[in-house]
Amino acid sequence: MTRLAWVIDQTKCIGCHACTTSCKSENDVALGVFRTWVKNVDVGTFPDVRRHFAVLRCNHCEDAPCVEICPVTAMYQRPDGLVDFDESLCIGCKACMQACPYDAIYMDPDSNTAEKCNFCSHRVDQGLLPACVVVCPVEALLFGDMDDPTSKVGQALAGHRVTVRRPEQRTRPKAFYIGAHEAALDPLAARHDEMYMWADNVGGQRGGGTGNGRTNGGHSRKLPVAPPARVAYDIPKPRPWGWKVSSYIWTKSLAAGAALVPALMHITGLETSGRLFGRVAPALALLFLALTGVLLVADLKRPERFWTILVRPQWRSWLARGAFVITAYAAVLVPWAWASWTGREALLHALAWPVVVLALLTALYTAALFGQCEGRDLWQSRWLVLHLALHAPVAALAAFALLAPLAGGNVLTISMGEAATALLLLSALLATGEALQGHKSPNAAAAASAQWRGRYAPLQWTAVLGGALLPAALLAAGPVSLYPLAGALALAGQWLQAHALVLAGQNPPIS
Amino acid sequence: MTSLHPSDDGRMQKGFAAFPPVERWNDWEEGGRRYSLVATTCFNCEAACGLLAYVDQETRTVKKFEGNPWHPGSRGRNCAKGPATLNQILDPERILYPLRRAGARGDGKWERVSWDEALDDLAGRIRRAILEKRHHAVMYHVGRPGEDGYTERVLAAWGIDGHNSHTNICSAGARAGYAFWMGMDRPSPDHANAKCILLISSHLESGHYFNPHAQRIIEAKQKGATIIVMDPRLSNTASHADQWLPTIPGSEPAVLLAIANILIRERLYDAEFVRRWVNWEEYLRDGAQGHGGTGARTFQDFERELERLYAKYTPELAEAESGVPAATIVAVAQAVAAAGSAFSAHTWRASAAGNLGGWMTARCLFFLNVLTGSVGAEGGTVPNAWTKFVPAPHARPPHPSNWNELTWPREYPLAFFEMSFLLPHFLKEGRGALDVYFTRVYNPVWTNPDGFTWIEVLRDEKLIGRHAALTPVWSETAWFADYVLPVGLGSERHDLASFETHAGSWLGFRQPVQRALKERLGEPVGDTRDVNPGEVWEENEFWIELSWRIDPDGAMGIRKHFESPYRPGEKLRIDEYYRWIFEHSVPGLPEAAKAQGLTPMEYMRRYASFDVPNPAYRRHEQDVPAEEMAQAAVDQATGRVYTATPAVPSPNIVPVPVPPPDAAGRRAVGVMVDGTARRGFPTPSGKLEFYSSTLAAWGWPELAIPTTIESHVSPRQLEPARGEFALVPTFRLPMLIHTRSGNAKWLNELAHSNPLWIATTDAQRLGVETGDLVRVSTEIGYFVVRAWVTEGMRPGSVACSHHLGRWRVADDAGTDRWSSALVRIDEQGGGKWRMRRLKGVAPWASGDPDSSRVWWQSAGVHQNLTFAVHPDPVSGAHAWHQKVRVAPAEPGDEDGDVVVDTAKSHAVYKEWLAMARPAPGPGGMRRPHWLLRPLRPTMDAYRL
Repeated sequence: MTRLAWVIDQTKCIGCHACTTSCKSENDVALGVFRTWVKNVDVGTFPDVRRHFAVLRCNHCEDAPCVEICPVTAMYQRPDGLVDFDESLCIGCKACMQACPYDAIYMDPDSNTAEKCNFCSHRVDQGLLPACVVVCPVEALLFGDMDDPTSKVGQALAGHRVTVRRPEQRTRPKAFYIGAHEAALDPLAARHDEMYMWADNVGGQRGGGTGNGRTNGGHSRKLPVAPPARVAYDIPKPRPWGWKVSSYIWTKSLAAGAALVPALMHITGLETSGRLFGRVAPALALLFLALTGVLLVADLKRPERFWTILVRPQWRSWLARGAFVITAYAAVLVPWAWASWTGREALLHALAWPVVVLALLTALYTAALFGQCEGRDLWQSRWLVLHLALHAPVAALAAFALLAPLAGGNVLTISMGEAATALLLLSALLATGEALQGHKSPNAAAAASAQWRGRYAPLQWTAVLGGALLPAALLAAGPVSLYPLAGALALAGQWLQAHALVLAGQNPPIS
Repeated sequence: MTSLHPSDDGRMQKGFAAFPPVERWNDWEEGGRRYSLVATTCFNCEAACGLLAYVDQETRTVKKFEGNPWHPGSRGRNCAKGPATLNQILDPERILYPLRRAGARGDGKWERVSWDEALDDLAGRIRRAILEKRHHAVMYHVGRPGEDGYTERVLAAWGIDGHNSHTNICSAGARAGYAFWMGMDRPSPDHANAKCILLISSHLESGHYFNPHAQRIIEAKQKGATIIVMDPRLSNTASHADQWLPTIPGSEPAVLLAIANILIRERLYDAEFVRRWVNWEEYLRDGAQGHGGTGARTFQDFERELERLYAKYTPELAEAESGVPAATIVAVAQAVAAAGSAFSAHTWRASAAGNLGGWMTARCLFFLNVLTGSVGAEGGTVPNAWTKFVPAPHARPPHPSNWNELTWPREYPLAFFEMSFLLPHFLKEGRGALDVYFTRVYNPVWTNPDGFTWIEVLRDEKLIGRHAALTPVWSETAWFADYVLPVGLGSERHDLASFETHAGSWLGFRQPVQRALKERLGEPVGDTRDVNPGEVWEENEFWIELSWRIDPDGAMGIRKHFESPYRPGEKLRIDEYYRWIFEHSVPGLPEAAKAQGLTPMEYMRRYASFDVPNPAYRRHEQDVPAEEMAQAAVDQATGRVYTATPAVPSPNIVPVPVPPPDAAGRRAVGVMVDGTARRGFPTPSGKLEFYSSTLAAWGWPELAIPTTIESHVSPRQLEPARGEFALVPTFRLPMLIHTRSGNAKWLNELAHSNPLWIATTDAQRLGVETGDLVRVSTEIGYFVVRAWVTEGMRPGSVACSHHLGRWRVADDAGTDRWSSALVRIDEQGGGKWRMRRLKGVAPWASGDPDSSRVWWQSAGVHQNLTFAVHPDPVSGAHAWHQKVRVAPAEPGDEDGDVVVDTAKSHAVYKEWLAMARPAPGPGGMRRPHWLLRPLRPTMDAYRL
């Protein structure tokens, strides 16, 4: 069997970046993005200090998270182990960038599709070594079949102790390092300052670690004691997901909750025929589901290809599964709304359970999708599914509270206010409780630190205090006239909460 | 033939090659495209590594550059700059047509002009100057030439001493240090076979010859060699060292002499080599008394002298001078001793280019080569003339009979070489004026110290009549030219070069790849302009054309040197120039070509390189051949062997010193060693000169043996309490190359700022953190820069890379926008200048979509503007290091600010000039005739 692999010998590497530019040339890689680069980390104190290099690139993982998350098989693994991409299929969802724990994937600004090191597959397929291997002045880059004992790769693996990047991610990477310093391979071991020794550090989201996995959330330059490892050179790395994804979580919660709550009321026999639950709620669900779809498509780099997710889905991807969940939800929501508006009780009754199930799936599948984002440990929290479970009813109740005056006489009941209060308090408790508990990985801890103590703390605390506790207090103690204000605050809080999660999860360096 | 790339032909992985086989270079399909592959040579740094251009057969454009697997120096591999040649040829900012100034100099108004108009104007002026015997009024000023001999031949043909170079802001110190030992001025370290490598340089990331040397240093390291690096800054190279010695700038000779002391004291040196090959007898006879010695005569006496002379350089003294622990110095000495003659060492710039007396760093370093017997040894350090091959062309003009005092002033009789960086001061002082001044791929306004003085002089039409800038790109200097004449990049020009990258000799042929391809396809070729973009030309054809216009009827005796060796009386074609060389002057090439059914020219067009058989080791031990001994005489006092037999012309015209003849005018050909006439070294004594009679006779007896000279930035010159530091402003970055790489987007994306490296402890003392602005004040002004607080810096010293800080004064022209900041320059009268950055690097719209994707803003700070000239009184090198005061920026200071007073810089020039010990030397000479000198004039011209 052939298993193509890298062996990168850092005892030889001189940090010259020949690999970087030869790759740019061979693969026509644009400014701002890289298939391979050389990180420099200074370790130690004068005069016992040395610079360590790490050539970083796709690891061609045996268990490649980018392949698993790709909704359309644009990322795929060949029988020889080479993880390649097909730009003609990619829809530009950037999920692979979140799944990769190594920062190896970027969006090509010309094709707007995902690209990365593919061993120069066009060369490999005609018996030529990858361009970087050929250019390397010091033979630090070895390429070959790790199962072939006569190859330099095979011999290097047999004769040296090798390490891999981030083994805790369990991706079985096939880029093996000889003599790499841990501080150069561990993305959190060395701190980033606001600049590098001969380059700008753009995008302060890179923050940095403090040498032992702890983080100070991007405020590293004011550290009282200089840590022993410091990033001397690195390249810019963009944050793939922003407000559109945060908003998608928010609109989706509302779309789910706005039907979930009346459907549950219907099942439990509560009155739902009034204007708020009978007319406004279904409209709200439909509107926000449509908005969800719009946001999802708008966040694609190739939005015109969005439909291919439905015709050639990659079934292991929760992005693909989610697309079908949303589609199915829409399929029951439309008749449900029609039945609700036209008072067709039998249909409402028949659809109540399907609506509940699909609304829940719609609200919750994102936890599974985020779970596939192997590069973002914060998102892998087992609590995320609970968060999302709370988000949907809270969003719905908040929206109802806000819209109740517009809906005329059907003022939100005190009991619903109490329910909302409880849910909001639970949500705040869950959030803070999660922050206080230990994190499963240094990356998650670093992200949580950014979320609660670092650059996203204003967002997060505004969400908890102003977006959960304050509306909860208003709902619990205030006059009913303040319910709309409480609803508005809670909705805003939910968006801030989602945004803080999305941004903080992407904050810690992963390469 | 097997390619020289180590991973080719399945050597890394069965079934995989590194390159397409040469048999298929005419038609190679890859990634759905059909290519023609044409080899050439990189034109970025001086290493001249091989490149292989992939020309798309459909569009006839170059799609990429890889290495040339047949190049013996680079062996198919490159640094970051090789592939980035593609950026340079496709740069949307490049100059495609000759331009003529339309307003005042430096106003930035340009008009397109034809090559003919420019040629006629320049040729007319040069012709008049030569006819009117104003030979000094024509000057060619070159940066790194990237070629051997071509342009010197042009100037010799014109009969002028008009060569000026960048050497004295670069390698003059190292050259002097090596030359006073062995005559030849460059080391050729055999790193690949060394057991111990001592670098006062950063050859794993830069320098001559970065990629070829790095390959071989790492090879040796993998085989177990000990790597020792001296550098006050943690370079990438230092990071690979077994021993990093972060010496206080200027203390390197003290450390080297402490190592020497240990070798001597503990008898760890190669006494037999020293006895045979060092001019110890001459020292005992002529030098010892001046250095406190006695009138002893035996080698044992000399060994005692060595002990006595160097006893004071204890490891403890070296520790006090350098900051490097004595124990480390002892360990290094042991590693050096253990390597024996497999000890390779190298310095080229670094300390030698930084300090007053920097040349002594090279002299003390080579002392270690001498003591270990590693001179000329396998794994040792070989004189460069043994590993460099410069093939003779068809016609060699005579030596010029005039002496240009603007480049070779009498104050610096021992300089290596032209006092280039003093030119503006000489012109200001009224020492002369230039009628025609060529700058050729050279940017003195930016690269040299004291750039504002350069601007003052370049603007003055009375001092410089015509300034023609031959350059592939805009530069700060071209902005002050009358003509900007675009010339080709690595794949757009012919050059022939050979560099001492290892224990072997090679020729590298740079060629315009489109022209070579046309020839291959049998298509007609005019000149290189026909295949280059726009009207971009190559200098070599330009010089032929210009020479014919200077001397149209041949009456001046110039034209004949530019006539075809194949078509008598007709204009030389550039391919004929090289064809003749390949057919006549390269041993083994005609045979190698014939074996493949090719002509020598076809062979070089295909392989663009040739491994010249040329013994590298122990040439000094060669017997003087019997035919030369036939009319030989031995000087009984010195053992020098002289002969009346005329020298057999060698096909290799690599510059070598010319040791003085004997009283009868016979040339020196060898030296008696233990009763046998050996070839020896091209020095007056024929041996390695521990004692330099030249230095002694030309006013520097106290420096005639390896010793120490106090640097102008030594700790004794600094007051740390006042915030004073030694600034190391010379370090390079791995991915840039001076001002040649500003047009390469991939390289500028990787490196674009030059913050001030300052030690953590110093920064804490000053209250400075990484990213803070600091003001760095020199003798003549200051610059404002951000701080990079680092553990990788010797406390008490600061460092700033000189690779960045490019600027332009117009938004859409001038220096490339990939690399330059837009600035405003205010001239405030009385020599006071102020530069302020208006805009950093920013995206712009062009034919290359990447120009709108520029994400970095920094362009660096142009520190060289704030440096006064510091000519070393012996070597003539500019001592780059600066005594500076570092303080937090003041209110109103902005990143990139530069403030300079050129009146002060002229005063500093006068101070340093006063340290010189002018010619004449013995015999009323301007310069010792035996020393190397570009474009060596006739003996008469040497006499004052």
